[in-house]
Amino acid sequence: MAEQVHRGPLISAGLLIGAGLGGFVDGIVLHQILQWHNMLSAKMPPDNLVAAKVNMYWDGMFHAAVWVMTAIGLTVLWRVGHRRDVPWSGRTFFGALLLGWGLFNVIEGIIDHELLGLHHVYEYTDNKLPWDLAFLALGVLQLVVGWAFIRAGRNDTAVRGEVNS
Amino acid sequence: MKALTAGLLTALFLLIGPVALACRVCRPKVQAAIHTPEYTVNLLTLLLPVGALLLLAAVVFYAPIIKTRLTSSPAHG
Repeated sequence: MAEQVHRGPLISAGLLIGAGLGGFVDGIVLHQILQWHNMLSAKMPPDNLVAAKVNMYWDGMFHAAVWVMTAIGLTVLWRVGHRRDVPWSGRTFFGALLLGWGLFNVIEGIIDHELLGLHHVYEYTDNKLPWDLAFLALGVLQLVVGWAFIRAGRNDTAVRGEVNS
Repeated sequence: MKALTAGLLTALFLLIGPVALACRVCRPKVQAAIHTPEYTVNLLTLLLPVGALLLLAAVVFYAPIIKTRLTSSPAHG
């Protein structure tokens, strides 16, 4: 009898690593390089040194959390690599990475931007909604493309060690 | 090993905050503004998306087990 195939563990690893890397992109590009927002910039605008440093602290806590998420994803990926029931598919993993990044953008966008109002994508404008919606739209696009890659990877059956990479 | 890693990480995060002294003049004001009564609420709300993603990843990882438990009929006798 053929061994049952499980794709979930590889998708789970890719999802965590993709979400973690997406969190780092958000933190590095939007928080630090462009300085469009910080984690609590809607509650505490960084318009003086103390407020800026408090926001820096909460940005650090956010980065620590996404680092832990990435590390867990790497651990899961390492363990998945030893399993004979999990196909080692580049398409599945790449799709899961994109899916994770998209999920991060959508979940963070809905919870932090819209529901809790901790910050908005671009704080230095009167109309913040278009920027928030563009961020969500990017996340949805990533979800769709990621899902398409995962579907394409359903035909991959070789396990690690059998794949020519 | 897992418990040791978790313990070390927790200790690291707890130790980092109070010793960050880049600005000697403003640090007391910064610390006071961080450690307000809203600290726990801020921390939990900030970690909420990460928690949701971890939960989702766990559901995907354990999907076959969850599916089996949900669809299997209760044991007889």
